[in-house]
Amino acid sequence: MTMQYALLIYEDEAVSGKETASPAYKALVDRHWAFSGELRASGVQTAGAGLKNASSATTVRLNKGAHSVHDGPFAESKEQLGGFYIVNAEDLDEAIALAKRVPLTEGGSVEVRPLLGMG
Amino acid sequence: MSPALDVAARAAGGRIRAALAARYRDLDLAEEAFAEACVRAAARWPIDGEPRDPAAWLYRASERIALDSLRQRKVRREAPSDAPPAQQTAEDAMVSDERLIPDERLRLIFVCCHPAIAAEARAALTLRLVCGLETGEIARAFLVAETTLAQRLVRAKRKIADAGVPFEIHGPDAWPDRLDAVLSTLEIAYAKAHEDAAGAGQHAGYAAEMLTLSATLSELLPREPEALAFAALVRFAEARRPARLAEDGAMVPLSDQDPALWRRPLIDQGEGYLTRAIAAGGGGPRVLQAAIHGAWCARSSLNDPPPWPDVLHLYDALLTRRDDVVVRLNRAVALAEVASPAAALAEVEALPSEPLKSFAPYHAVRADLLRRTGQITAAASALQEALALSPAPAERIWLERRLFELKA
Repeated sequence: MTMQYALLIYEDEAVSGKETASPAYKALVDRHWAFSGELRASGVQTAGAGLKNASSATTVRLNKGAHSVHDGPFAESKEQLGGFYIVNAEDLDEAIALAKRVPLTEGGSVEVRPLLGMG
Repeated sequence: MSPALDVAARAAGGRIRAALAARYRDLDLAEEAFAEACVRAAARWPIDGEPRDPAAWLYRASERIALDSLRQRKVRREAPSDAPPAQQTAEDAMVSDERLIPDERLRLIFVCCHPAIAAEARAALTLRLVCGLETGEIARAFLVAETTLAQRLVRAKRKIADAGVPFEIHGPDAWPDRLDAVLSTLEIAYAKAHEDAAGAGQHAGYAAEMLTLSATLSELLPREPEALAFAALVRFAEARRPARLAEDGAMVPLSDQDPALWRRPLIDQGEGYLTRAIAAGGGGPRVLQAAIHGAWCARSSLNDPPPWPDVLHLYDALLTRRDDVVVRLNRAVALAEVASPAAALAEVEALPSEPLKSFAPYHAVRADLLRRTGQITAAASALQEALALSPAPAERIWLERRLFELKA
């Protein structure tokens, strides 16, 4: 039986050059294009996308049954990445409204981050 | 900058930046285009003469500069705007700037105070874009380095652009939350200006901007009780500023302030806003807070009894809407006058000391209640705890004098 796996990428934006859209970053993007081309050719990739800088992130947190909205990416403490959705939304308000509907356990968070190349 | 240009830039800058920002969804573009229009005005007006309608001239020029800049950047996206760009017509000369420049300031305030923007950047961004304060002025008001504040503004603007913060205000169900975020932002900003009883130059100017901004918000939202109440509260608090410092530089508690020193015109304005807030059906926390300030400002001389019973009733009502430790502490102060210091002390001692112990007024209130119930040693150590928090000079002098009197 074939399983499905998510390959989640963590890296330092300062090192990858994403922060400054430097030549190093452009080279990295080229490597991603090549890699995803190989994956598609071998039929193993179903979806993938780059994310905008962490500075574009907003975190929706569930505390005592109430959602709160914060600037910035999710700061890992004892929670672990548990899943993800990719949604279409007109703007950040719509995306936040959808994030608030994501089933969460107490103390859980949803980081809302725009995908690259989507305006 | 000529006086006419200075006046027009201050009076219409917020509207022009807001109109450009709403049209192009780009705060930097709006800011830069308006700044460049002012530079061109400074060069042209002495030669061409001052335009009949300086604000309209600046708006036109900003528009053209923004469009040129977009063409140069070649980043015009499809349909970024609500309306076609303004065309200059022969009728323009006849139209006043009021009608020419769409008033998008409310949208801009909502964008700047969006919950997804870092809390410490929201008020600064609002003061920069809507009120046109310089980065340096805002930095001094917030007691941070100018470079730090400039970085915060850059980050906030980039977040707005990258994350897709909307320039639309969504349906009525989203409205109360967003207005609350705006008012909370402005309250925190105003508290910073207000806590400085001495009202040093920069803070005083900043407080004046809060008078303007709260009036603007009320003008844009004439039927929102909480927005009207915030305008009332800022006026009541600013009206008392001349009475907040004694000759020796010590703070003067509200009940000891001489009402003859208060600024009557501001109190009258505050009462006007409060009346409208109540008429608009307001029973929210800001309306109650403004009513507490209003009760004090209704005092016309030190011979009038302080309004403690009214204040206590209003705090009772406020507790049902906003139950927090600071409200409970303030209520206890009124309770001490209406019931007894012992009853008030019992309430204060029941409060959780954890968030309050770094709040100097908590120790000052405890010290007063302990003294009045005969616990002099405990009162002195409470005053020392307040002093250990290194309060502002006006508060420090007042606390030191209380301590001196206790020991005497």
